[in-house]
Amino acid sequence: MDDDELISVLPIHYSNSLSPNLHIHQFPLLSRPLQTPPAAAVSGKRIRARIKPITRRLEIHVPVDPRPEVWNGERSKSLGAARQEDDREKNQDVGKMKQMEGEEPRLIEVRMRSELIPQEGAYMLGVVRNGQLHLQPINETHQFRPTLTYLDVMSRKSRRSRGDAGSDEDSDEGPPPDPDEPPPVQTAAKKEKKPLEVKEVQVSARKVADDKGNLQGGLSAVRREMLLAIRAEEEEDWQDLDFCDGETVEGQEAFEAVFSQNEEHLECKSDITAFLKGIKGL
Amino acid sequence: MADNTISTSNAGASSTPSGTPGPSVPKAIGSLAKKPSDVTRQGSQKLKFVPTLPSRRKKEEVKQEAPPPTIPNASTDRGRGRGRGRGRGGEGRGAAPRPVPVEMTASGPFAMGPALAGTSARRSAPRSNFTPIVPLGPGNATALGAGLSGAAAPLLKREKETVAPLIDEDDYSDPDEGVEIIDMENVRQMDWMAPESLRKERKEKKKKIQVKIEDPSSPSSIKKKEDEMNIEEVDLANALDLSESEEEEELEDLIDDFAVQGEADQDADIRKERLYFFQFPEPFPTFVPNVPLTSPTAMSVDEPPPGSHPRKVSFAADVKPPGPSGDPAGASTGPEAEQTKELPKVDGVIGQLEVYRSGAVKMRLSNGILMDVTGATQPSFLQQAVHLDLQNKRLHIMGEVNKRFVVSPEIDTLLHAMELRDQAEANAMPIDDTNLIKMG
Repeated sequence: MDDDELISVLPIHYSNSLSPNLHIHQFPLLSRPLQTPPAAAVSGKRIRARIKPITRRLEIHVPVDPRPEVWNGERSKSLGAARQEDDREKNQDVGKMKQMEGEEPRLIEVRMRSELIPQEGAYMLGVVRNGQLHLQPINETHQFRPTLTYLDVMSRKSRRSRGDAGSDEDSDEGPPPDPDEPPPVQTAAKKEKKPLEVKEVQVSARKVADDKGNLQGGLSAVRREMLLAIRAEEEEDWQDLDFCDGETVEGQEAFEAVFSQNEEHLECKSDITAFLKGIKGL
Repeated sequence: MADNTISTSNAGASSTPSGTPGPSVPKAIGSLAKKPSDVTRQGSQKLKFVPTLPSRRKKEEVKQEAPPPTIPNASTDRGRGRGRGRGRGGEGRGAAPRPVPVEMTASGPFAMGPALAGTSARRSAPRSNFTPIVPLGPGNATALGAGLSGAAAPLLKREKETVAPLIDEDDYSDPDEGVEIIDMENVRQMDWMAPESLRKERKEKKKKIQVKIEDPSSPSSIKKKEDEMNIEEVDLANALDLSESEEEEELEDLIDDFAVQGEADQDADIRKERLYFFQFPEPFPTFVPNVPLTSPTAMSVDEPPPGSHPRKVSFAADVKPPGPSGDPAGASTGPEAEQTKELPKVDGVIGQLEVYRSGAVKMRLSNGILMDVTGATQPSFLQQAVHLDLQNKRLHIMGEVNKRFVVSPEIDTLLHAMELRDQAEANAMPIDDTNLIKMG
């Protein structure tokens, strides 16, 4: 390695001027840039965003391409109604419905909801400019996936309409039963179906039933915590955010803030051995 | 033989295309090309999915004598693919409701000449880091001219591209009677909402095909060669290319990323800078300004919230040679104004990035910290760097992250430092303790 020729050297600048608000947003199911489809942009729709600051959850609403070749208008109406109902239940209504048809709400946007992902190691964002590398620490990583919770509403409707007779088969196909909901007929059916099983099975079945049946006492601590967290999150209100694309003036300012202004050399307080010692469990 | 193919697929077509282009050559109609793999030994037709698009298109062709402002043939499902393309194309040409003029410019890797390919900073200088609204897909392999028809959605930036040769188009003879050939790989370009097409490693295969075709040997030998080729085709198409060459390319890319110098930036459009993602091991070393301030204790400035507190090993200056950052910049600037919010702000030079000819990239930070930089797994999805401005209620998109890197301590340096530290500790400890065992 000694005769490895050095081609270039870039000084590294470090600044944390944007902390703690620098995020990486990942869109695992998307392989194209996040943009309004031109057909939707024409009618004035833009990407919008909102946040629950305490829970650190973001939502990005991307308008949908409404051209008839690629979008089913009929279905969007039925789904739109389901979504509206879902919104009301979960306090996630999009307050401003400018395009208030009054008759039928449609599905006009894809809602991408974020998950906060734990970071492994220290993440930095680096930009090269003028032969210098500027680093900024990244504080949060979010992954965005489209939320389709309105489908739950629809399946519930269809399940109800089909009546209890069909509930058995429905429960097999549908999502696992929500602990909030009253325990469906399943548990009784389960017990009946396996009367001759070994005792252990019966015992465990009963335990499960208790968990689901008794909302207050029988729930395990973990489950209760989860429920509380979910409830707390639902009750928190959304705050709307302006979604500024790269080309806006404010965006430029934010971008400029990435670059370090100072030419001063910083002294390092840690040593390379800190990396080894920092490994937990070693 | 060619008729066989066509007739099976054109069930119910009004007329079979008469001028079916020629003989055995599988160039005729892209999707209908009869490859030797289609035909069993007996010569009968193997079951093969052949899209019936051409036949439908024939009907549509007749109808589309008059310029179609709207989409014809919404009734036929299969025609929808075509109708979609045509409808969009029609809209695009009419340019009626579309306020974005950019769309009409040819774009894609070959449209603007060599500047557009975008593999290296040198070549992609003029391009902004933000893809404009309509497709300026900077050189994804499937973007063989994405957006030429003004139709495809923009693509993510990729550092390393395998630009599939445009020769694909040449292999197919001119569409017969206006039949439009859609290569499955080019489905992407048909429309904004068109799905992604899979990339194939076609380069080697292409060369072979050309070589073989130029060789005018007897038909039987040609067939044999084609057979072999087809086997290889399959292999190449499906196999992961884990060859050495890929690694070299990657290293080159690292050089390209960082060796951007002396590039007279034409327009000072900020957004051309690429964003890179670095993953450092924890804990990220803490840096403080040179001049001691009121609170000189290192702050856990850099770590992400759940991170551990910094380990201040005030050790190094004596034992290790001082950080060899040979930067001439003087460090005698005054103390930095410390904004005591939650985190004190740190700003300054912490080291240097060295790029070697072999492609190795190292970060030399002050205090003798030497780190290796390697390319990380590049995800295929979109990643954006975003600044959240809660006070102004804004979410700024700073750009797409182009490339990821992993930074790890250089092992030799690390071990050496550990050794030194152990020695120092050993020296500091009283040796007369009989319980201690002195090792090595």
